[in-house]
Amino acid sequence: MSGVLTMGSLDPAFGAAMDVDGEPVTLDLRSVEFVEPAGICGLAALLEFLIPRSEEVSVRLAGRDVPAYLERMDFFRLFGDRVRTNVDVHALEERQRHNPGTLQELVNFHTEEEIPGVVTRISEILENKGYRLRERVAICSTLSEICANAAEHGSTDGGFGAFAAVQAYNHIVSGARRRGEEVLVAIADGGVGVRETLSKNEKYAEHTTTDNDAIRCAMMMGVSGTGELGRGGGLALVAQISGRASGSLSLRSGSGRVTAYHDRKNSRTVPDFPGTFVRVSLPRKLENAAPEISLG
Amino acid sequence: MAEAPQVFEVAGGDFGGKLMVTRRTGRAVREALGDALEALPKGGVLYVDTRGVELMDYSFADEALGVLVSRVAGGEYGEKYLILVEEDRDLLENVEASLRQRSLAMMRVDEVGGEPEIVGNIPEHLSDTLRTIMDAGSITNADLAKKLGLNHTAMNNRATRLVKLGLIHRKIETAAPGGRQYTYERIA
Repeated sequence: MSGVLTMGSLDPAFGAAMDVDGEPVTLDLRSVEFVEPAGICGLAALLEFLIPRSEEVSVRLAGRDVPAYLERMDFFRLFGDRVRTNVDVHALEERQRHNPGTLQELVNFHTEEEIPGVVTRISEILENKGYRLRERVAICSTLSEICANAAEHGSTDGGFGAFAAVQAYNHIVSGARRRGEEVLVAIADGGVGVRETLSKNEKYAEHTTTDNDAIRCAMMMGVSGTGELGRGGGLALVAQISGRASGSLSLRSGSGRVTAYHDRKNSRTVPDFPGTFVRVSLPRKLENAAPEISLG
Repeated sequence: MAEAPQVFEVAGGDFGGKLMVTRRTGRAVREALGDALEALPKGGVLYVDTRGVELMDYSFADEALGVLVSRVAGGEYGEKYLILVEEDRDLLENVEASLRQRSLAMMRVDEVGGEPEIVGNIPEHLSDTLRTIMDAGSITNADLAKKLGLNHTAMNNRATRLVKLGLIHRKIETAAPGGRQYTYERIA
């Protein structure tokens, strides 16, 4: 496990999880120094997968910052009594819970009905933080569209629904660390995945040979599993919004992972795992920002 | 005295205030708009005012407006018209995307009584026809055909398409014995 817990860093654990058959499992996260929303949502989905398949799931953490951050993001509220951990959760609970950059703690939802409440809360926080209307619209539209997809495709009978988390940073965290601000939005659902959803529509039969083909196809305007007119626009618009902000949209489903930037898409094959994971990076363009001066 | 225009303020209802997200909310707004359309007399215009809305995501826009415009164009509400009251701002992007995907269009004005623009998608050749009708305010098929250099049948086909999209109004008058004269009128 690398120092950053994000979407890709959980791949080895996703791969190993598929072989678990009743035995106790330990997730060793001691090398993690920084957790981003896609990491916490991915971890939540991984635990939801492991808990019913394992006699006991343990999560091992090191240091103070990561456990404290997970506590502030409500991780232990959702999983504290379902996993074993080396962290003294009660001691963490006494610390101040609010993190100035947190727009949405880890939240578990099942239906579309729950989404407006989440979006309204984030919009209010963003407004108080001085985000311009246009920026708030981009962030909230992104969140509502991908949450709606997760609620629609992620709710299988007895499933966990979906997890969402949103965090604002006062520096750019995607890629090389540099000046600027960035908002990261992440969703993980336990549904059937992009390929199976698109396979319901015969029109896309040629585009569902692999998970990566299916994900690329799903990012195009008007592509949906139902083929209903007007459907399949949300994800394409999220890709446009993140591209315009010089950010990115990453989608992991099955054994595929595609990241869309404003001018290109990258695909990679990853260990097969159920559900769909979305990470959206929205860098913030700062007005009146002083130009960077290189002294090199 | 002319009747006051029927205006439906989307942010004023008990739907989601300034933040309009999800298809579920869109359906609720569409049903209320549908009721308002039903209550209109034949030839009536419903102004859908979204100026108080800060955020409208694609799913909401498609469900509330895309589906409704599609039903109006399909004749579900009879001869009634929808006009969007909205300024030229980012919020229109999702309405535009939904209508384009459905190959539909609707009229938009900055304010009730303002000069109309088109949101969505109409073919280039229909744009010219629409613009000519808008400029004239009211024009017969014969005069329209003359202006655009088309025969009467081709002209009537183009204008009928605009009528079906709910972008103009058609008046049928009796002309010579057994004949009919079509007059096309702007709706806003």
